[in-house]
Amino acid sequence: MNRILLQLAGLFSALSLSAFGGGKVVLPSMHQAAVGEYHWMTSQQFVDLFSISMAAPGPSMMVVTLVGLKACMPYGTVAAILGALVATFAMFVPSSVLVYFAGNWWDHWKESPWRHAVMDAIMPISTGLILAATWIISKTSIHTVPTAILGVIALLLMLFTKINPVLMMAAAGAISWVFLS
Amino acid sequence: MNPDSKSTETVIPGMGELARLFLFIGLTSFGGGITAYIRRLVVTEKRWLTDEEFLPGLGLVQLLPGANVAGLAVYIGNHLKGPLGSAVALFCLFVPPFVTTCALGFLYFHAGRTEDASAILTGVTAAACGLMASMVFESGQKAIKGVFDVFLILLTFALVRFAHLHVPIVILIVAPLALWWHRPRKVATKEVS
Repeated sequence: MNRILLQLAGLFSALSLSAFGGGKVVLPSMHQAAVGEYHWMTSQQFVDLFSISMAAPGPSMMVVTLVGLKACMPYGTVAAILGALVATFAMFVPSSVLVYFAGNWWDHWKESPWRHAVMDAIMPISTGLILAATWIISKTSIHTVPTAILGVIALLLMLFTKINPVLMMAAAGAISWVFLS
Repeated sequence: MNPDSKSTETVIPGMGELARLFLFIGLTSFGGGITAYIRRLVVTEKRWLTDEEFLPGLGLVQLLPGANVAGLAVYIGNHLKGPLGSAVALFCLFVPPFVTTCALGFLYFHAGRTEDASAILTGVTAAACGLMASMVFESGQKAIKGVFDVFLILLTFALVRFAHLHVPIVILIVAPLALWWHRPRKVATKEVS
């Protein structure tokens, strides 16, 4: 139990400080650790938790809360909530502390030509990482023709309309419930 | 950016108001685009910050690692109320989603993957894949300034997908290469601090 809490704290604080471009970029590592290395859950469960966190209120990376919850769930309800707390804290506090202190130096940075250089360098890396995250989630969840069609329609709606993503996911859930079950 | 917020005076809220607003944001923000939502609330509606104060903060949190929303809460809290304001904003942002997310998690694991839940989740996940894919396009549009950027994207993808390296290690490998390529060139390098 304590060992799992330590693993959660270690994993998510490391990911917190490497999430350049937002939380989603560390999704592949989270998947690999939770499913492949620590065996906290199956790949299907991870993808389900990711979908739940996307459809629920709050920052989209609340999936870390659910990973912490599941990792400690064998030890009871209180342990599960403790695991969720540790995971959430480890994911969001280290990067926030960094923002707090970096804010003080930000004015000096503003003058430096390296600011744009760093921005330009980070963008392709985050894009590659989001691509990898999309690949992993799709590989587990898009198995049939109808799910592929739903995914493509969702992609087109997101690219070409201003539809709210949560409304879209809710609609997709409803369609799937009515027609695919 | 927004003419409304440019010439008007800003208001400094009390700690209670700050806490209430971030509780509200935590409860009502869904999916992507939360940073735009926060800007509308804090700059346009409440007038706590001007765009000139907000946008550098947004630039900062986009540059640094971590969830952008959490970083913005810290930046805005600190700007308005100092270190305690940061802590209050961050804490309040996470309380409502933490409670609802845990409740949904228990529901999922206790009810099990019933046929209904399974059907709904299949649809939601398929749509989430589309949403993620759209982010690849949007982020790629901003990232690709030349052929080398495409190479960097594919290299990053391959290191995660085929070499199964962890994200921090991938960043340690690709970042020096990307920084070297995008290093400031036309400007005299002496003034770099």
